[in-house]
This record gives sequence, structure tokens and C-alpha cells, in this order.
Amino acid sequence: MKGRYEDENLKWIALLILLVLLVPFLLQGMTYSYRYYLYVLNIAGIYMILTVGLDLLSGYTGQVSLGHAGFLAIGAYSSAILVDQAGIPFGLSLILASLITGVFGLMIGFPALRISGMYLGLTTMGFGFIVRRIIIALRDWTEGSAGLAVSKPQLFGFTFNNDLHNYYLIYTFVILAVILARRIVKSKLGRAFQAIRDSGHAAQAAGINLSKYKLISFFISAIFAGLAGALFAHTMRFISTDHFDILLSIYFIIMVLVGGTSSIYGAVLGTLFIVSLDYLIVPQFKDWLSTFMSLEAGDIQSLIFGLIMFLFIIFQPTGLYGMWIKMRIYWKLFPFNPKKRFT
Amino acid sequence: MNELFPGLAQEIVSGVALGCIYALIALGFTLIFKATEVVNFAQGELMMVGAYVNFFFITIFLDSLGFGNWPSFILALIASIGFSVLFGVFLDFAINKPLKDEPVFSMIMATISVAIILRAVVALIAGPITLVPPSPFGNSVIRLGSVAISTLDLFIILSAVILVSIFYIIFNKTRWGLAMQATAEDPMAAGLMGIPVKKVYRNVWIFATIVATIGGVLLAPRTLLDTNMGFLGLKAFPAAVLGGFGSIPGAIVGGVILGVVETISMGTLSFHFHWIKEINDVIVWIVLILVLMIRPVGILGKEEVERV
Repeated sequence: MKGRYEDENLKWIALLILLVLLVPFLLQGMTYSYRYYLYVLNIAGIYMILTVGLDLLSGYTGQVSLGHAGFLAIGAYSSAILVDQAGIPFGLSLILASLITGVFGLMIGFPALRISGMYLGLTTMGFGFIVRRIIIALRDWTEGSAGLAVSKPQLFGFTFNNDLHNYYLIYTFVILAVILARRIVKSKLGRAFQAIRDSGHAAQAAGINLSKYKLISFFISAIFAGLAGALFAHTMRFISTDHFDILLSIYFIIMVLVGGTSSIYGAVLGTLFIVSLDYLIVPQFKDWLSTFMSLEAGDIQSLIFGLIMFLFIIFQPTGLYGMWIKMRIYWKLFPFNPKKRFT
Repeated sequence: MNELFPGLAQEIVSGVALGCIYALIALGFTLIFKATEVVNFAQGELMMVGAYVNFFFITIFLDSLGFGNWPSFILALIASIGFSVLFGVFLDFAINKPLKDEPVFSMIMATISVAIILRAVVALIAGPITLVPPSPFGNSVIRLGSVAISTLDLFIILSAVILVSIFYIIFNKTRWGLAMQATAEDPMAAGLMGIPVKKVYRNVWIFATIVATIGGVLLAPRTLLDTNMGFLGLKAFPAAVLGGFGSIPGAIVGGVILGVVETISMGTLSFHFHWIKEINDVIVWIVLILVLMIRPVGILGKEEVERV
């Protein structure tokens, strides 16, 4: 009998892990500004953990969430407060912050049992706004909208001092998150999620407890987001409510969609694409443009970001994962390609 | 009652006016959603563009060409509606044409990126200055007993009611409305029945842009004009959803409820309960979530029966 995980090509995973381990050294050898690249990669890694969780919720279970920046904020603030004000060690607070965020995920999951589609998207969006307001209102702990400085991460007596250390810390969790998510997807849980996405009624008729699995999906997704938030707080060392706005939630859903929904690697790829677009490619473009004309900083940046996004959607509506599948078909059929396949 | 809540009646009146603005934006959402199933995230930005274009025309007619007060406002309104027709055609060409066979979410993402682009372009052209658009009514107010209502607010309420009724009639009583409903149901079947689906899509985008422009023109003198006006679109979202997404009368019902709730919570409630002040700008969302928990499809929304 075929085992459950036999169709997974484990060699690739080992190679991927090796690549992740080697990237800082490759960067160091290639460019002088590798510190900045590492910083960008760290942000991408944190977001990857979140978007993998978001993909489980939105891609696999079909529950749209426009409030994941709120979960990120809850994770970040609860971990910052636990470590700096309650004196709990970082390792424990990672778990606690994730669980706290998970409980909030359950809370938003309850209304979601009755609501679907656009209504759910708006409810979660409202949740994101409300979380921001509450964080500002709890001034005694969070210092309101002024922002909160956070201590460095410390694990087993080792302090993570610079971006290189943080890189390994973050990507350990990224790899764990990806492996865990892929296991979830292939398990009974994942099949239940997909059944709910495809048709709630049919899933119910097949004996799947809808409310139980929807709540589990929200819980898991929020735990991923809380973990990402805790890592975010301690590696960025400064958090403020300005960062967790609605635009970030929309970016998260864009990351998942650009990568291709219902694909864990798609979510990772999409996150990498959007973050590097935002932090690397767009500034490059801006520098290149500013040799021709004088420009104001913020607006032109978002203009270029919007334009690239727009063109990408127009020409690649199925996302990066769809592109990858097309490429795979192309190489499979290599000498006998139909002309119009590779578009 | 009157001693305890002195400003309550006043707040309700200006809340209704604010709600009618929300209703106009929500109407744009609803129109596009009804015919194409796309949620247009750029609706608030369309309103902002409309307001800027109108301001531009007003300054041309009023200052450069030296027309009188009223003629220049009316001419500017006509000119900006003309612009929004062209803009609607352009949006249909840019968003709808290339993506009409793709999944709905790609089109939603396209509208998000259009929103980002529009905000950036307007900020680049107009600069970061906050403009103070003139109102055609000046500061005139009408008094009804103890309640004062500015002429502008009255005009806003009237035009919202008129526009919503016009679109309600178009949608439910005319051949075009029937064509739109059929297109929303199933574009391919509608095309086979001889409905010009492409034209329907284009008209919907034009309608939505016109409604957004009128909303922007009316709103601009009430607040101030800057690029953050587009964020109001995010506040009109709960209005559209509260009334029932896809229901035209729902837009005005949801808009007015949220407008009144918002002004009352900012005024009387904040005055009596200090903690309300903290949640002022999210009270709209709290109301939305509470209503959706009781009625998951909004107040006037129709419950859809899913076929297995």
C-alpha cells in the first residue's frame, strides 16, 4: 500500500533547506549591501509564515480574511508585552503569543460560521480596524500610537544580535511552518478543509462537522499569524499600530493570490515576489527614473508598485503558480510544443 | 429628553446627510457587483478623482473664464460627468476587457492596484496640499425649529435619494436592467440570448464612475479635498454590506444607519460616556459585525440558496 506522504519529493525539500541555509553567504559574496537584502529576506520570512497560515484559511478552507494584519498585531503586541513587561522568556512567549492569537482567531471564527464570501471579508476587515483601535486604547501597556520598542530575541541564553542571526531564527520557523502546513493539507484535516471550500453542503452531507472544522481552520491560521507577529516584534525591535493597517491585510491576500491559492509553495513564492517588489525592485526603478526627472519619494513608489501589480495581473491572471505549471507543461512536451502554450 | 440630549436631533440630521454620501459610494459598489460580481476596491478613489476633476473645472470656469457663480458650478458638474463617462470607458477597457474570462479575484486585485495607482497619480499631479473647494450654496442654512440643516446637506440627501431611485427603476423596470441582471446571473447564457454583454459591462462601469463623481462633488465642500478622501470608500464598504450587498435600496438604508450611528457616537455618546471616544472611528465596524451576526446577508440582502 502506498504511504500517505510518498508522493512528496523529499530530495527537493532537503535541497531547498540547504539553499535557505546558504543564501546569506551567497549574498555576502555577491553584493556589498547584503545587510539590506538580509533585512528584506527577514521581512519576507515573517510574512511567509503568516501567508502560509492565510492560505490554509483562505485558499484551502475558502474563508476570505481581510484582517490578518490584526492577527499579526495581536501576536506582536502580546509577545512584546509578555517578554518586556511580564518577564517571560522569549521561547515561551513565542508559544503563548501564538496561542493568544489563536484564541482571537476562534473569536472571529464564531461569527464566520454564519457568514460567507464578501460579508466575511468585511467582518474580518472590521476586526482588523477594531484590533488597532483597542491596541491604541490600551495605552498603559502598548504606549498607544507612539509605538513600542521591543527587546532582542533570546533563546537558551543566546541573544540574536544582528540580521544574520535573525535570518536563521526566522527561517527555522518558516521551514517548520511550511512542513507543518503541507502535512496539515495532506491529512484528514486538510481534506475536510478542501471539502468545505468546494461545497459546504456536500461536505456536511459527507459527515464533516462544518462549524468544528471552520473554527479549527481559523484557529490554525491565527496561530501561524501570531507566531509571525511574535517574530516580527522581536526582530524588527519596534512595533507601532501604523504598521498593521488595512493595506497590509490586503497585501497579504494579494501575496496569496499572486502565488496561486491552494498551494503552500505558492504562498511562499508570492510573498517573496511581493516583498522583493516592494523593497528591492520598486526602489531600483525609482532611482532609475529620478535620473531623468525630479520626483517626490512616496507617491512614485506606490505608483510603480501599483503599475507592476496591475500589469502582472493583466498578463498573468493565474499568478506565479500558474506560470510555474505552464512552464512545467512546456518542458514536459519540450520538442513538440504547441506554439501558443508559452504565454 | 431634550435636556439630556440637546444636540440629538441635530446630530441625526447631519448623520443622515453623511449617510447619504456613504450611500452614493455604496451605490457604486452595488452597481458593479450586481452586474459583474466584482467588488470594486477603487470606488473611493474614483470619488476622489471625480472631486479633483470637478475642483479643476470649477477653478477654470470661475477664475480663468470669469463665469458667474452658478453657471460655473453647473458647467463644472457637467464637464466632470463627461470626464467620468470617458474614465468609465477607460476603466472598462483597462480592467474588464482583459480579465473578463479570468476568475473574479484577479479582477478584484486589478481594482486594488488601480486604487493604488489612482491615489499615487493624483498625489503626483495635485501635490500634498489640502484644497478647500467652494460650495455653490455658500454657508447658507435652513432652520427647522431648533434644528439647522445646511443647504448643501439638504442637497446631498435629495440627490442621494433621487440617484438611488433612478438606479432602482433602471435595474428593475427597464430592458437594460433586465440585461444587467441576466449578465450577472450567467454572462455566457445572457450572450446566447442576444444580450450585448460587453456593452452591459461598459455601461455598468460608466454608471459607477458617474455615481462616484457625483458623490465626490457633493462631499468635497463638506470635508476638505486631499488624496485621503479615497479612504472614505473603506467606510462605505460596511454601508453596502449592512444594507445587503447587491441591493440598491440597501445602499441607502445601510448608509443612513451608519452615518447616524457615527455622528451620534461622536457627539452625544462621547459626551456622556468617555470610553466611546476611544472606539469612535471603529463603531461603524462594530455595528456591522453585530448586525451580520443576526442577519448574515445584511438588512435587505436576499439569502442565496446554494445548489449542491
